[in-house]
Amino acid sequence: MNQSYSKLEINHLNMTYGSKVILDDINFKVNAGEFLSVLGPSGCGKTSLLRILIGLAKPSGGTVMKDGVDITSAKPMERGMGIVFQNYALFENMTVLGNVEYALKVRKVDKASARETAMTMIKHMGLAEHIHKKPAELSGGQQQRVAIARTLVLNPDIILFDEPMSALDVATRLALRDELKDIQREFQTTMIYITHDQEEAFALSDRIMVMEEANIVQIDTPENIIQNPANDYVKSFVIDNIQRKINSLAKYMR
Amino acid sequence: MKKRITSFFSRFQNADAAKTVIGIIFFILVIYPVVRMLLFIDAESLQNAIGHPSFIRGLSNSVIIATTATLITIVIAYALAWCLERVDMKGKGLFRVVLILPMLIPSISHGMGLIVLFGNNGIITNFLNLTTSIYGRWGVICGSIMYAFPVAFLMFADVLKYEDAAPYEAASILGIPKHRQLASISMPFLRKPLISIAFSVFTMIITDYGVPLMVGGNDITIPVIMYQEVIGQLNFPKGAVYGVVLLVPALIAFVVDILNKDHANSRYDTRSFVLIQKPATRAFAYTTCVVGSLLAVLPIFAFVCIGFAKKYPIDLSLTMANIQKTLNMGAIDYLLNSVIIAIGVSIIGTAVSFITAYLTARMKSQLSKFLHLISITSAAVPGIVLGLAYVIVFKGSFIYGTLVILIMVNVIHFIASPYLMMYNSMNKLNENLEAVGETLGIGRLRMIMDVFIPQVRSTIIEMVSYFFVNSMMTISAVSFLVTTRNKPIALMINQFEAQMQLECAAIVSLTILCVNLIIKGTLQIVAKRTSIRKYEVNQNDFQEAV
Repeated sequence: MNQSYSKLEINHLNMTYGSKVILDDINFKVNAGEFLSVLGPSGCGKTSLLRILIGLAKPSGGTVMKDGVDITSAKPMERGMGIVFQNYALFENMTVLGNVEYALKVRKVDKASARETAMTMIKHMGLAEHIHKKPAELSGGQQQRVAIARTLVLNPDIILFDEPMSALDVATRLALRDELKDIQREFQTTMIYITHDQEEAFALSDRIMVMEEANIVQIDTPENIIQNPANDYVKSFVIDNIQRKINSLAKYMR
Repeated sequence: MKKRITSFFSRFQNADAAKTVIGIIFFILVIYPVVRMLLFIDAESLQNAIGHPSFIRGLSNSVIIATTATLITIVIAYALAWCLERVDMKGKGLFRVVLILPMLIPSISHGMGLIVLFGNNGIITNFLNLTTSIYGRWGVICGSIMYAFPVAFLMFADVLKYEDAAPYEAASILGIPKHRQLASISMPFLRKPLISIAFSVFTMIITDYGVPLMVGGNDITIPVIMYQEVIGQLNFPKGAVYGVVLLVPALIAFVVDILNKDHANSRYDTRSFVLIQKPATRAFAYTTCVVGSLLAVLPIFAFVCIGFAKKYPIDLSLTMANIQKTLNMGAIDYLLNSVIIAIGVSIIGTAVSFITAYLTARMKSQLSKFLHLISITSAAVPGIVLGLAYVIVFKGSFIYGTLVILIMVNVIHFIASPYLMMYNSMNKLNENLEAVGETLGIGRLRMIMDVFIPQVRSTIIEMVSYFFVNSMMTISAVSFLVTTRNKPIALMINQFEAQMQLECAAIVSLTILCVNLIIKGTLQIVAKRTSIRKYEVNQNDFQEAV
């Protein structure tokens, strides 16, 4: 890996749908091993951005560079990226093992080593006792771990998350936050995490990218965003909302 | 890189190309024949048909019979569906099976069943010394109810199963009395499904020629006139005029159904009803179900009586002679024709519906909406009209007189419902599955084989069952298209009716019933094995939720 390039570099990315501007000249860089959250309300273009990064959607203009290589037109499977969707989209008819080893099998990895790789990953994710269960028999948190395992087994160096926690209860969310950080540390993957939850973004991220209506309004560390919000929007959408949460609890904590 | 971009786009163009091709095929096989039929009408035949005194009589009979029968069917079907969905009682499984048995035999058999039971020498006529005649309006109404009841029953059962109990609970807590709940919760909820059910039952009855042909007597209806014009006098232009008349209610029903579609998708978070255990309600429900079931099997009982009696009603001793007699008339060959047609329709129909539903539900584009609409358009064409249109288009072509044309017309005639079943199932699958496949490097075809088909397996089985059973018992679209070479067994009933050999017609009806029962039963066992697994899963879900 060439150190002089960013892990991911997005230049002048545009996307329009009819007369509607979805993304308006987006530029940013992601460092290797970084945890970047993309924070914004629904409809701000964050999911479209994610779909362009993974190759499921085509930008109207601009480039996506990974390790210095232009991957704007590459197929999703050729990008060395993984994605975990909001509702996981697991293969309901397959077991946990089936879900994890399926992509390896399709990619003509020989049977025995596909099985071994999948088993190792499943154990690693703490799913060993659920290996022969179907997704519907698992809890939301377990399903998410299967979705991550299914992605990780192909060795991506970037994983994208599309609001993966929104279907989970609070306790599971808090537990999974720590797990996510552990996974990142262990596999050294770069993670890009889409969310509309301010608290989640602050708890997880090395840097946060705040979006509003097709534009990036601020991209910085959590500390800097708190101390120097770029404009009123960041202040009201990010800081005030967090402050409200803190206040609602603080009155009981005195 | 350029190559990749081209392949990226060509993939989408391929989907649109496939949609266009299938759309054109539907156009050629549904709209084009109907248009050709319309063009067949000339001023003279129009005047002949509409000016004929039997036309007004037939039209008023048709409307009166269909309206009355629809109203009664709806009341009975709703009552039975309500009993089975809302009341706690034993034997529900058996009632559900028995009540839909009438759906497995042709409409003409229901008419015949009435003759055997209530005709001049009928089993019940003789037993009770009745003097009233079954022939005429009321006979047709009774037969039509028998024929249309199971369809309405299944539709109501489905509606009631998914009704949400929460509003009723809330109303009870607020102290709103039961009759007010009926007016303010039940009726508004039922309005849309009721309209759809009423229109489909009405269309089903008004376009059927089987029942009135049997028991109509002097009270002739439009489909019977059409049948006699086309079969008896080969007067296609005149038949086409009557076809247009029958096209009208079917088209209205089709449009109403589309406009009436419920877009609410909240039905998955519904609270289920607590089954009523009051002894009085239970007794009422039980009686209703027993009476309903007895009436449903009455025609089958009648077929057994005359089919296996030496000479009904003179000599009631058991005999197999009628089976022999039916076989001698070529029943085996006709049965073989029917089975080949039914298998062909099941395979081709299921494949076409699956591919079309995949294209419309999973590869959405502007063209998808168009394809969706044209693939359900055949529901707006009554079978008998589609049959006449096919005669006009395909007579003289190389497929005329072969099983191929019968398979084709049945696939088109029946495709709307199975297609919609698959369309709904496909829409329920996770919207991101294709995206997951793409990012994991799994091709579309692999995904279809390994992920989609296993998940919609029970729908596929349901579709096969629907195509098979309907092809086995249909007498509508095929009636004008058959020659002696490709005749299906259901149409032997028409022939026996003409020859007044009711015992042979009874044997044929029983044969169709048996084949349909075997196929439906086998497929249901296969489907159950899938759903048992689903049930276990749901149990787990439930435990986790608790």
